[in-house]
Amino acid sequence: MKKTDIGVVGFMYGVCILFLVMTLRLKKAAQTYPLFIITLLALLTTLYVYNMVKDAKRLGVTSGLEEVFGETLPGQFVPVMAMIVGYLLAMYYIGFYPSTLIFMVACLWFLKVPKWQVVVSTLAIVCLVYAAFAMFLGVKLPVGLLFK
Amino acid sequence: MLETLALMGSGFANALSPVNLFAMAAGTAIGIVIGCLPGLSAAMGVALLLPMTFSMEASTGLIVLGAIYCGAIFGGSISAILIHTPGTPASAATAIEGYQMTLQGRAGKALGVSCFSSFCGGLLSCISLYFFAPLLAQLAMKFGSPEYFWLSIFGLTIIAGVSSKSMIKGLMSGALGLLLSTIGMDPMEGVKRFMFGQSSLYEGINVTCALIGLFSMSQAMILAEKKIRQRARAAKFQDKIGVTGAEVKRLTPTILRSWIIGNLIGILPGAGASIACFMGYNSARQFSKHKEEFGHGSIEGVAGSEAANNAVTGGSLIPMLTLGIPGESVTAVLMGGLIIQGLQPGPELFTKYAPMTYTFFAGFVLVQFFMLGIGILGCRGFAQISRLSDAILIPSVAVLCVVGSYAIHKNFVDVVIMMIFGVLGYFFRKFDLNPAAVVLALILGPLGEKGLRRSLMLSGGNPAVLFSTPICWVLMVMCIFGVLSPVFMARMEKKTVENAGGDMPGETGDDPVRTSD
Repeated sequence: MKKTDIGVVGFMYGVCILFLVMTLRLKKAAQTYPLFIITLLALLTTLYVYNMVKDAKRLGVTSGLEEVFGETLPGQFVPVMAMIVGYLLAMYYIGFYPSTLIFMVACLWFLKVPKWQVVVSTLAIVCLVYAAFAMFLGVKLPVGLLFK
Repeated sequence: MLETLALMGSGFANALSPVNLFAMAAGTAIGIVIGCLPGLSAAMGVALLLPMTFSMEASTGLIVLGAIYCGAIFGGSISAILIHTPGTPASAATAIEGYQMTLQGRAGKALGVSCFSSFCGGLLSCISLYFFAPLLAQLAMKFGSPEYFWLSIFGLTIIAGVSSKSMIKGLMSGALGLLLSTIGMDPMEGVKRFMFGQSSLYEGINVTCALIGLFSMSQAMILAEKKIRQRARAAKFQDKIGVTGAEVKRLTPTILRSWIIGNLIGILPGAGASIACFMGYNSARQFSKHKEEFGHGSIEGVAGSEAANNAVTGGSLIPMLTLGIPGESVTAVLMGGLIIQGLQPGPELFTKYAPMTYTFFAGFVLVQFFMLGIGILGCRGFAQISRLSDAILIPSVAVLCVVGSYAIHKNFVDVVIMMIFGVLGYFFRKFDLNPAAVVLALILGPLGEKGLRRSLMLSGGNPAVLFSTPICWVLMVMCIFGVLSPVFMARMEKKTVENAGGDMPGETGDDPVRTSD
């Protein structure tokens, strides 16, 4: 058994409880089907807990963290994720094209891509999106709150 | 019969329009590029480019998605042969013989054989698509609400089949997907359910956003957490790519065997191209008159693997189009594409929408020719693309995910939903849960709910209606088979991989061999 699976089980039970609380607020006739699914998820999770306990007795308990996050580089992953979140926020305020340019350059620079590849990749993506979405599909990409 | 022939003829006439021909060429080229990039999978590519098909005619949109699917399955062999890194798990067995041929200076020949076999496998798989799909659709016309309920249950039992490691975790993922599919308006009572105050959730979670998040954004996250490694330089090759008449004669029995294997595996829910390639390779070795060549660069080994994985493509479309049962991730994404066009998989595709369906079928046949042409002419160029760094893929995929999900309804809520599913997909992959199961449940959940509640309403609440027809009983038996088949499949896969002397492929084109420059 891996300790990390406790997190999985906790998440599933958490979802069950959240949906149960919301289901009980619905009118009676609308409760049946969601209750059936919640029960199903809870039963499957409990079955998994039973298997975990059985495995723990038979094979012992391991952390599992090394297996799951052994290859993860927090120094790379966290900044990239922060940049993606920042990109979404920037898009909301300054629009799609400026935020995409900034995000692409910043992310590629952070990932140590050679300068000429940064320029080529950024231009390629912006041109691709413009051609495919703005021109071909006619999607009005966000201009941002500041430029409205 | 005559009516079917007329539909087939008009399908080809429609498919040969300039727009459709351009769609085939572009889709195939994009698919090959996605396939030969080891960080990207076919399902991810199709999900990422799904929004591009919104404004197209239904048949053209489906042709593009089908072309990406076929192109990606073939494209995986290019990097497998040249840099010993399968672009997709479906080409894992190709790397065994293909890379040996490259080391011997016969990379061109390996690519030529791969291209020719992929073409034959894909083309032959269209035969079963043409003949079996309408038959199955006729059966589906007899379905009522109880049958649709059991059909969705059968589809959901496949979740266990597509689960990579733990069946219970696969079922848990499916149940979670079912719960998420209840978000939105109650179809019978007209009550708002679990909408968190968001009116944009009125019609439920947008399946396309979920697809892009679960398959594409989560893959960008997976790439972002790992060390960026340089891929091996693609081998330069001077030998001829073409296949000689004598080689065609030698490869024909292998290709025919692999076609049958690939097709059957494609039709079977829960199995996929990654199993087919090893089974095709294994049968090629078993029946070969040149067994001594295996492990040292056998063209039959390459042909066996590639014909089988491409034969899966046509077969896997049959249960998806006729019954609405996607047996694996890529067909689940393709089904999402169908639903986006306002079409429901099932018998209507072969009656009301038959011209569109037969145009798609004809397009699927023609895509195989584009794959052959583009593959042979462009494989030197694709070989260089296969070295593209993950560092460039990460932000590029993220941008395409964001703009793709925004384009659906032109609002930020969809982008946020895509991100939530992206994070969910990332943790699902980390903890061996199954993102494909969530997608299947999101698609099949509403179908099952409507079938169940309508049946109970019509019978005055009597559950016996669910067991009232022979078709219900057949579907129940299939559900039991659906639950038990993963055990059988896992044993079969383990055995064939062991016999082939290969490693089990990763889920998303994880490359077993990466070397520095």
